[in-house]
Formats: sequence, structure tokens, C-alpha cells
Amino acid sequence: MNTRPPGRSLRQRLADPDEATLAAWLLAPAFVFIAVIVVYPVLVLLWNSVHDARLLTGQPARWAGLENYALVIADAQFWRALRNTLVIVVVTVPGALVVGMGLALLANTAVRWKGPVRLALLLPWAMPLAFVGLIFAWFFHSDYGIVNDVLRRLGLPTPIWSASAMLTMFAVCIATIWKTSSFMALILLAGLQTIPRSLYEAAEVDGASKWTQFTQITLPLLVPSMLVALIFRTLTAIQSFDIPYSIPGPGEDTQTLAMYIHMNAVDYLDLGYSSALAVVMFGLSMLTTWVYMRHIRGEEAR
Amino acid sequence: MTAFTSGRALRIFAAASVILNGCFPALWILATAFKSEVELTTKPITYWPQDPTAANFVAAFRDQPLPLYLANSAIVALGATLLSLLLAALAAYAIARLQLKRRGIILAAIVAVSMFPLVTLMVPLFEIMRGVGLLNSYWALIIPYTVLNLPICTLILVSFFQDIPRDLENAAMIDGCTRLGALWRVVIPLSAPGVFTAGILAFVNAWDEFLLALSFNSATAYRTLPVGIQMYQGEFSFPWPTISAALVIAMVPVVIVILIFQERVVSGLTSGGVKG
Amino acid sequence: MKFLFGALLLSAALASEAATELKVLVGGQHRPDVFRELLREYSQLNPGVTITLEVGGATSELLQRYLNTLLSARDSSLDVFLIDVVRPAQFAAAGWAEPLDAHLGADREAMLASYLPRYRAANTVAGRLQALPAFSDAMYLYYRKDLLAKHGVAPPTTWPELAAAAKKILAAERDPNLQGLSFQGRAIEGAVCTFLLPYWSLGGEVVRDGKLAFDRAKAEAGIAMWQDMIRQGVAKPNVAEVGTDDTRKEFQAGKAVFAVLWGYGWNLFQTGKDTRVTGKVGVVRLPAMPGGEAVSCLGGWNWAVSAYSRHKAEAARLVTWLSGAETSKKLALRASLQPVHAHVFRDPEVLAAVPWFADALPVVETAVPRPVTPMYRPVSDAIRLNLNAVLAGARSPKQALDEIEHRVGRALR
Repeated sequence: MNTRPPGRSLRQRLADPDEATLAAWLLAPAFVFIAVIVVYPVLVLLWNSVHDARLLTGQPARWAGLENYALVIADAQFWRALRNTLVIVVVTVPGALVVGMGLALLANTAVRWKGPVRLALLLPWAMPLAFVGLIFAWFFHSDYGIVNDVLRRLGLPTPIWSASAMLTMFAVCIATIWKTSSFMALILLAGLQTIPRSLYEAAEVDGASKWTQFTQITLPLLVPSMLVALIFRTLTAIQSFDIPYSIPGPGEDTQTLAMYIHMNAVDYLDLGYSSALAVVMFGLSMLTTWVYMRHIRGEEAR
Repeated sequence: MTAFTSGRALRIFAAASVILNGCFPALWILATAFKSEVELTTKPITYWPQDPTAANFVAAFRDQPLPLYLANSAIVALGATLLSLLLAALAAYAIARLQLKRRGIILAAIVAVSMFPLVTLMVPLFEIMRGVGLLNSYWALIIPYTVLNLPICTLILVSFFQDIPRDLENAAMIDGCTRLGALWRVVIPLSAPGVFTAGILAFVNAWDEFLLALSFNSATAYRTLPVGIQMYQGEFSFPWPTISAALVIAMVPVVIVILIFQERVVSGLTSGGVKG
Repeated sequence: MKFLFGALLLSAALASEAATELKVLVGGQHRPDVFRELLREYSQLNPGVTITLEVGGATSELLQRYLNTLLSARDSSLDVFLIDVVRPAQFAAAGWAEPLDAHLGADREAMLASYLPRYRAANTVAGRLQALPAFSDAMYLYYRKDLLAKHGVAPPTTWPELAAAAKKILAAERDPNLQGLSFQGRAIEGAVCTFLLPYWSLGGEVVRDGKLAFDRAKAEAGIAMWQDMIRQGVAKPNVAEVGTDDTRKEFQAGKAVFAVLWGYGWNLFQTGKDTRVTGKVGVVRLPAMPGGEAVSCLGGWNWAVSAYSRHKAEAARLVTWLSGAETSKKLALRASLQPVHAHVFRDPEVLAAVPWFADALPVVETAVPRPVTPMYRPVSDAIRLNLNAVLAGARSPKQALDEIEHRVGRALR
């Protein structure tokens, strides 16, 4: 397979290197970029997080040990931001899955208007998060938004959404679920279409109800495609920034972890503290990945 | 009612609800863009513009350099897409086709990039870009977006490259092609659907990104659309009609792309576990 | 890369050919139309200089975020920018503003002597002049002259007097749309002043020698004063949602007897669209706490030259012109922006156009600058967010003060 005449010239070797060398050359650009854009920044992040690096003191960075982390633990706003982030994860990840499942089942039923259906599934996915945030902020405007208009027509109370942290979080979660469920639907739709019809026909013969068919056939067969989608959805939910940034609530009460990191970095220019917060967030991402991986391995072992 | 008509009604209902859910926000913004400021702040709100006006579109172009933002977004997204496709194709070819030890670990190392939240990398990246003088330039965004897209592009291309028969490649090499020549002339053309899928994902991810764009390219000349749209707000006012018009203009290119490629996009997206 | 390099060469070549090009940044709320006109006049007087105006974010925070990213990047695209009166300390610490002392040369002392003392002090950090004042501002107590006269009440000098006056008028007027006092409780910069006004009146300080100097008893008394205003029905229960312009709109619509507001309100009250209070408005110093001093919150904006500008000398000349007495007078006449020179405040032509400046001058002269620290932004956030939470009923005063102390302490550690 790899039999080459010995004693090739340098030029020959450069023009047609052996496979291992070629592989290394082909992988090099990707890894150089990863080293510069991910590995080095992570090292800088760790270094910053143990230093007092506030650009506005006019002083050079000073070794601070775990001081920044101690400040994080004592910081009430950090805990609020963490709570808000976790609320978004816990509400919107299952929310996107359930709504996405609904959309996928509906789209699978809908044989008509294929083009518009596809457009409707792709549009939320392709719309920038920052736009989605703006549009939903307008939907939930207390005077001129459509949500309060519908509530008013139904004779229900029309709250001032932005005045309450809970209501603002509700709007943020709805916007996030709308934006992310359609992609979930696309992935589930692909899964649905690979399930052989014969399985349902056999179940039909056995007299199984539609619901039994759904829980016994559809769901279990969709689990693999769901899990991959869920890992990525959870990781991006932990990073929620654009939508809560565009739908402001009272004060900082609906700030997410990503927003708080951004504020400490860009508005306060406190690199040490924002890095310590970032390390905490990174830990959260790792923990999430680890939990899913364990689950996937557990599934495979069974 | 027969089973046939109820099935038909169900199908129409299913299609209609999916379409309504996906398109309603865009249609609402489209309607808003044609309303005057006065109509917009009248209660009860109107669902259809009573007295349609194009003034908001004029204002959208007048108040902010919208074409510039569109061009910036297009340059950054295209640049990042092409660069990530190039890097991913080279890496994927090595992983899928060449003799390589610890193939799995190398692929995992590339995929692990997506575990690092963007906001955590922001400050060090800002320092790097500042150090090399790239802040407020296209490269400040193209380079990080390229890396963020590497995992998904590499995953997709590896799975496509693996499916191409080795004989075709060997035949090309017998005809005098080098390895890289074979990659370019045989493997890539045969994996066109995969390249397309990876490309469209990379493009949309780059087109959407807000955080780095907000922090690295704050100067007007390099602002991208998601950041530029935020510039319409005033101290005490939020000019919704103008913002709606700007959003409509900003969405038109994306809708056109979707309409042209929708079939390929859907089949591409659903062909493997991909990131949202 | 090649393209980038080519573009750089090209722009360098162009720059050396053309006249000096200066780029000036103002915020969206700063009447860009007025400044554009002024800058055009300067270019006419100085044919070698062309000036472009960039309009940035519309709030002080958005404008500062833009400058933070641009100037941390040592970007040289801006030459001159307008900065909030609370920022010179930050610009000095970060080294972003070109100190102007050397550029002024022999005129320095004469120029400084001409400015209002508060602005001279606000723009001098560690003996170096970081910026020159553009226009002054302060928080005033606006009151309804007609209502006070009708019910035989004199303008109040303490907060309890104000509450008593407001209650008397409200009880007699029986107008459900009328409120006693409108002030800012939303988590905006104005809420920092809301917190500081009674605290300062009692002699409290926030920062001393760069460290936190917090007097909890005085802070508690200040917060209790505002809570009393709500409890007694003088202020609206939803004051936590009231921002700067909400106060302006409420007073302008005739829905408030008293209002705590910056100087921009006056003109709109007299000639604004749909105003109900033309000719019925009086302005005085803000009231004091019982036994305390009457204080106001110092506002206003200043012109700074970027430390990364390629045309510092030209930019410094422009800034000197912009903050000079002549320009200050033009701004007063054209946009009712408050002068930065005492003699312009007293100028007959100015007083003819903006008569209330006679009442404004003593207030501006005694207004207090907000905490002077390079870390102003985190200090401001800690104060405004917690005051807002107390007024909204989401936090107790004790919790809020704990959090202010902790957060400001962290910023100033």
C-alpha cells in the first residue's frame, strides 16, 4: 500500500508526501486556528481569573490568587444571573423539544404546501437571535404589543411585562423557544421519516392506540437524534445573551450569566472578575456535556 | 364526515399551523413597517396598516447606513464560510481518508471547540485582536467565526467523505493527480451536498452572531447587521416603525436564499446530527 | 491580507494629501443638528480643517460602551468626543484623553478662570486638564407657580416642607390625575442622583481617597425620605418605573405639582408640543434634608481629545473653540444648553432668550459632582439598581445597602 521507491528527492517528497506527513499538513491549519482562537484564550482566561486585572486602575495586573472567585461567590448579582440562566435552560430546552416535536409531527402530517411549510421551519432558524429578541420585545410591549391586545380582547388583565422580572423571563423564554424549536423540529422530522411504516402497520394490527404507537415506537426511535440536538441546545442555552439583552426587564433582575460577564468585561473593564465568571460558566458547559455523555454511554450499555 | 375529509382537514390544519408559527413574527414586522408612528401608538392597535406608508423604509436608510451593514454582514459571513469550509475540508480529508493514528481523538478535539462559550473567549480574543491591530476589521470576526464553525463543518464533511468510493480517487491518481488534486477534483465535487450543508450552516451561524460583532467591531464602518439594527434606538424613544422597516430589509436576503435553496437546506440539515 | 494592506497604503496616501480631517463624536441625545451647524462654522473659519460628525448611542452608557471598546483598541478614528461629567477620572486613569494643559499654553490660566469652578474641578484630574466643558447642567426643583400661589404655599426648602405643601395642594385640588412629586426611580443614571441628593444633604460621601466611604445611617435616612414620599401619597406608587423623560412628560402634561429634573425640561414646559404648563413653572434649588444642606446633582458634558488622535494639536484647537464663551453663548441661544461661563449666564442677550438661567446659575454653582472615581460605572450601577429595587419593593433598604456596600467595595478594592 505504501510501497515507494527509496531515495526520493526533496522535491518529490514535497510534491507527493507519504500519508502520515500529508495528514499532519492537512490537519495543521485547523489546529493552528483552534490553538489561537480557543486554546490560548482559555489559558489567558485562567491567568486573568487569578489576577486583579482592572484596566481602569491604571495599574498592571497583580496576582490575586482566588480573590476573584471569592468575590464571585459573595456576589448576589452573580447568583441572580446564574439563576436566570438556569431558568432559561430548564424552561427552554424541554420547551423547544416539546414544541419542536409538535411541529415535526404536524409537518410530517402536512403533505400540502410543502414549500411554505419548509420556509416556516427554516425562517426562525435563519433569523438572527438579536432580531428575534427585538421582535418579541415588541410583541410584549405593554401598550402597543399584540400579546396585550389579544389579552384585552379576551377580557384578561394586561400586565406591564417589562416591570416584572418574572414576566420578562416568561417573554424571554417564549422568544427563545420559538427561535430554537423549529431547528429541533427539522432534526426530529428527519428522524420521523426514517421510521419504517411497517412498524406502525404492525401496531395497528395489534390494536394499539395512536398514543401507544407514539410512546412505544416513535419516541424510543427518536431518542438518538434528540440527544445530539439536546446537547447543543443546552450548551447554547447556557450562553443565552442576545434575546435577554434585547428584552429588557426591571434593572438587572433578568440579566443572564453571559450578560453579566459581558458587562464586567466591556462596561467595567474588569478582566479579572469577568474571567472568573467565565471560568464558572465554562465549568457549567463541561458539567452539562459530561452529564449527557454519561447518559449516552448508559443508553448504549443497556 | 368521512375519514378522507377529516384526514384532509387535519393535513390542512397541520400545514397551516406550522406556517403560521414560523412566519407570523416576520409578517407582523412586515405589516408594522408600513404603519406610521401615529398609527403604531394608537390604541387599540391595528392588525393591518390603515394608511400604508413607505416613509419608514426611507427613514431606515437615512438614519443608519443600512447597505453598509448588509455588505459588512455578507463579507464577514461569506469570508468565514469559505475559510471554515477550506480548513474543515482539509482536516476532514485527513481524518476520513488518510492513514492516521488516534483518528477518534483528533475528531473529538475539533468537536470539543463547541463546548467553549463564546462569551468566555471574548475578552482574551479582544486582547489578541487588539495586539495584532485587527479590531474594527473584517478579520476580527472572520477568524473567530471560522473556528466556531469548524466542529460542525468537519463532522459533516467527514461523514460525506467516508461515503465516497476509494476506487474513484485511485483512478484519478493513476491518471496523474496528486492526493490534493484528487481531493479537489474528485472527492469535493462528489460530496457537493455535504459541502453545501456545511456551508449553509456556517453562513447562518456567522450571519447571526451578535456578541463578538458588538464588542470587536463597534466602529460604524465595520458594524454588522445585528449590531447595526440596535443603533436605531434613541435615549428616550424606540422608533419601532423604522426598526421594523430595517428588520424587513435585513431579512429579505435570507428569505431569498431560503426560497432558492429550501429543498437542499432541509435535506442537508436533516442528514446528520447538527448543531442549532 | 493583501487587500487590507493595499487599503491601508491607499488611506495613508490620501491622508497626507488632503486637509486635516477631524472626526467628532456626540451622542444621539445631544442635538446633533446643532453641533453639525457649529462644526460647519468652525470649518469655514479654518479652511484647512474638515470635520465629520459621528452620532453614537443615545444614552450616556451606550456612548461610553462604544468609547470603551474603541479606545481599549487604541483606535485612532475619533479625534474629539463629548464625555459625561462623571467620566474624566476614568479617561485619566485609562490614558484615553490627551491632557490639554500643554496645548493651551499661556492661555491656560485665563481660560480656566473663565469656567464655572465646578467644571474646572470636574475636568482636572491629578492636576491635569482632561477635557474642557461643553455645557453645564444640574438637577432642579420645578414647581407649579400657579398652584402654589393659589393655595398660598411658598416654594419648599426642605423635603418634609415639600411633602406638606404637596399634600395640602393635592387635598384641595382633588384631581385624581395630579401627583405631588415626580422623581426618577427607574434604574437609570438619574436614580443615582435620586439616591445621592438626601445622602449628600446630610453630608454623606461615597468615595474618599479612592476607597468606599459609606455612611449607612445617612443612606438609610435618605431612602426612608423617598419611601415616605410614596407612603404619604406625594409620589406615585410606581415611581420605580419612572425615568427621566417620564418625569418631563408628567410635569409637562400638568400632572405633577413638583418635579426633580435636569435643565432640559424648562424649554419643553414653555414651548413643547401639547404643553399644559406654559408660564406656570418656577425653578428653585432642590430642598434639603431637615438639618442638612441644600444640594443638587452636577450634570453636563465635556469635550475631550483622544489620546490616539493623529491630529491632537488641531483637535485641541477645536475643543478650545467649542468650549469658549462665544460658542457657549451660541449653544445657549440656539439650543438652550446651559453655559459653562458665569458671565454668559448673565449675558443680557442670553437672559432675554432664556430668562430662567438667572435662577439656574446659583443651583449650578453649588451642585455636587457624583463620586469621582475611574470606576464610576460599577459604582453607579450598584446605587441605581438597588435604589430601584427598594422603591419597587423588591428589596428591603437593609438588603439594598448591603449590596451597594458590597458591590461598590468590590469595584473600589
